[in-house]
Amino acid sequence: MINKIKEMLKKKNIISYKIHEEKTLSIELFFIKKNLDMDRNKKVHHYKVTVYKDYEDKGVKYKGNSTTNIHPTMNENEIEKALDDASFAAGYVKNPYYPLTNDSMQYKNNQILESDFSRESLSHMAYKIGEAIYSVDKYDKGGINSCEIFLNKKYSRILNSEGVDIEAVSYNCLVEFISTWKEDDEEVELYKSMNFSEFSKEDICNEVEKMISFSKDKARAKNTPDLNKATVILTHESVKELFTFYYAKSCAESVYNKNSEWNIGDKVQGDAVKGDNITLIIDPFMKNSTFSRSFDNDGYPLEKINVIEDGELKNYIGDIRFGHYLNVKERGMVKNFFVKAGNTSILDMRKESYLEIAAFSDFNVDNITGDLGGEIRLGFYYDGNERIPVTGGSITGNIYKLHDEMFLSKEIQKDNEFEGPKAVKFLNVTVSGMK
Amino acid sequence: MKAEFSEFLKNSKVLIRKMIDILSESYGYVSVLATDTKGKSYSVSKTVVEINDYPFAERGFVVRLHNGINYSEYSFNEISEENIENIIEDIKEKSGKIPGDISINTYEIIEEDEIKGSFIDEVGLLPYNISAKDIIKDLTIIKDQALAYSDLVINFRASYNSIHVSKLFMSNNKDLEQSYILGEGRLFSLAGKDEKVKYYFKSSSGLKGYEVVSEIKDLYKEVVDKSIELLDAKAVEPGEYDVICAPDVTGLIAHEAFGHGVEMDMFVKERAMGADYIDKAVASPLITMHDGAASTRHMSSYYFDDEGTIGTDTLVIEKGVLKTGISDLLSALKLGTLPTGNGKRQSFERKAYARMTNTFFEAGNDKLEDMLASIKYGYLLEGMYSGMEDPKNWGIQCIVLSGREIKDGKLTGKLISPVVMTGFVPDLLKSITMVSDNLQMEGAGFCGKGYKEFVKTSNGGPYIRARMRLG
Repeated sequence: MINKIKEMLKKKNIISYKIHEEKTLSIELFFIKKNLDMDRNKKVHHYKVTVYKDYEDKGVKYKGNSTTNIHPTMNENEIEKALDDASFAAGYVKNPYYPLTNDSMQYKNNQILESDFSRESLSHMAYKIGEAIYSVDKYDKGGINSCEIFLNKKYSRILNSEGVDIEAVSYNCLVEFISTWKEDDEEVELYKSMNFSEFSKEDICNEVEKMISFSKDKARAKNTPDLNKATVILTHESVKELFTFYYAKSCAESVYNKNSEWNIGDKVQGDAVKGDNITLIIDPFMKNSTFSRSFDNDGYPLEKINVIEDGELKNYIGDIRFGHYLNVKERGMVKNFFVKAGNTSILDMRKESYLEIAAFSDFNVDNITGDLGGEIRLGFYYDGNERIPVTGGSITGNIYKLHDEMFLSKEIQKDNEFEGPKAVKFLNVTVSGMK
Repeated sequence: MKAEFSEFLKNSKVLIRKMIDILSESYGYVSVLATDTKGKSYSVSKTVVEINDYPFAERGFVVRLHNGINYSEYSFNEISEENIENIIEDIKEKSGKIPGDISINTYEIIEEDEIKGSFIDEVGLLPYNISAKDIIKDLTIIKDQALAYSDLVINFRASYNSIHVSKLFMSNNKDLEQSYILGEGRLFSLAGKDEKVKYYFKSSSGLKGYEVVSEIKDLYKEVVDKSIELLDAKAVEPGEYDVICAPDVTGLIAHEAFGHGVEMDMFVKERAMGADYIDKAVASPLITMHDGAASTRHMSSYYFDDEGTIGTDTLVIEKGVLKTGISDLLSALKLGTLPTGNGKRQSFERKAYARMTNTFFEAGNDKLEDMLASIKYGYLLEGMYSGMEDPKNWGIQCIVLSGREIKDGKLTGKLISPVVMTGFVPDLLKSITMVSDNLQMEGAGFCGKGYKEFVKTSNGGPYIRARMRLG
């Protein structure tokens, strides 16, 4: 198919292009309680072609682009029409000029380790994951209500008109499960999803055990008190979501599109930080991340880069296009990010009264405005005497009003493309409790 | 103008029938869903222009078969006379090959009535008849007008998605075809003042062609005005308030607070509190709620769902009493109920789940001005932002963009933003005391199940007066 597409591009006199090929093999297992409810297999092959058009208007250079799907079942007429449409459309996409990745770039392929998923069949590994999950489901009052396992082997190849031709094989697994617990009252549940690229029975078991334990806490939780303003400790997924704000604000695309007002050299938390300053590093080779790759979707070679150092924005995160637009060195798009741990232990964070949130229904940080909030599914309230599980109500705030007094834990956690503090403490967060 | 059915799917029917016939020799039930969804996304902002294929455009197949105990599925997207034997071999080699120590849920074989049918929808303006040049020109005019309207606008985006869905469902007894066009037009305004940045968006959508762009073109002033108003919005003082929810927020409540809770695959998993509330009061007697592909004409209206079940109109709540849930085919088989045509897939590559379609509360008899006048102190909530379901414990999380202060029955012009609504679903629904006489639907977003499986749905309703906790 690649040759067919290239021949057609040549016939159409399309001289600037990119072809992205992706083949996926998958097995998916769906469990209800401990029983397999359905098995699914998948074998799909996708091609996306981006057509570029360079032109000048009043002496200014522009580059238009348009991306179209080429399905493997398309006949020649359909392929021709798809490319014609993309080529025509690219002529009306009037964006500033940027270069394409060229074949002189060096890739650090040796830094990507082979996944242990490659050692056995997908089916074998998927059932092994299921076995690990259910090995922890051994309680009378609680366990796993349902679980879905998606294990994929993905082949990606990117080639363009500038001579780039790079390929990679990767594995990714998504596990989603619902943990439950029932005391005397109604049964409660919590949701969890995990993404990983390497098999670790220990990590899976720890996560399932933790969620069952949280469900047990939720089953005896009281209503969250109406605290109005309180010290809030974020933990688990909400910490990753919080730092995703800093990642998003540092993206060249966000800056160019005015969704971020950050400039290189800015002290992103302000000049009067009383808590911890952030250091954020992007790392394309992070272990056990489904996003680890030596090149991005433009075939651009990736490397580890310090983005924010001690609170100061040093480099944007961006692909070749938006890096060029902002007139900074192009870096390529890296999804993995690492946030340096702080100096406070979680035990020290818990010395004075606090509301620690273990699970939100959906913690949301607005990457444009900095508004944050979410409904509390499980928290722990410490009034200075006793730590009790609580549920219901919400927290709200704005990151810009909170992050000058933000404290990062010494302890770190890893969650797919994120590695960073296990807990973050904020002062004076608005807490709307339940009466 | 007619949305012509995919030539590719028409031409694939012979091969699909052959595949079903061969597989039927080994399996008790075999069906194939084939999809060919085409579409383009156009977007113009102050900074960039984009024209790409619609992100959920696809072409492929999913086979479902009864493996002797339960159901297995196989998704693929390469089919030809030459490779059909290889595909069948791969399906047989992989499907239902379950290790001996795994316990398995059993399912009966699906029994289907013989049905052959075709549905070809019509829209006002076929998107194919409008060139990319003209679409970009129209969107650019809207964007330029918005930018010229106020200096406080930092960026403005006008976008249009055209989606042409063709689906074919075949089994031993079914041969169904459908083709329809969806249109989505969106406006997004980003405003800034001093160091504060806020945004607002609005959309128009439905079983429509290019006419949605005409529907949004005059909305730019409202979108810009609201984004600017939000710059002066204050934080919420946490507490319980009398509120009036605008139709988009009513739709969000219908969808998140209740709709997800009556998806009957959750009944099978014993994850839905709704299962224990059938024929019990869950809402104010003023509330009647529908869901269904045939309940109204909007983003999730279709002839048949992704399991070949004909779409219906389900009365979920009647005058405050929960009547039934919405169901996919396999959940109905397990529960011994009738499927309601709610089995939907994100794509041919994904599993079918019980999903909402067009979900709404019926209109009532009240006038909005009377509803506002009835509030001593409270807020008019508008601008759906996000929500998350809690089918098991009926907790609510809905976030809206703004709350307009109401004092002594009048809007004061003061705003709060953003607003997190929390509480217990029946408490909220039972607190509804007034329902307006108009109903509006919205469907430009996506609905997920948990954090994945994104499908098109629409939600809506009238203005409702309720009491809820805001934070």
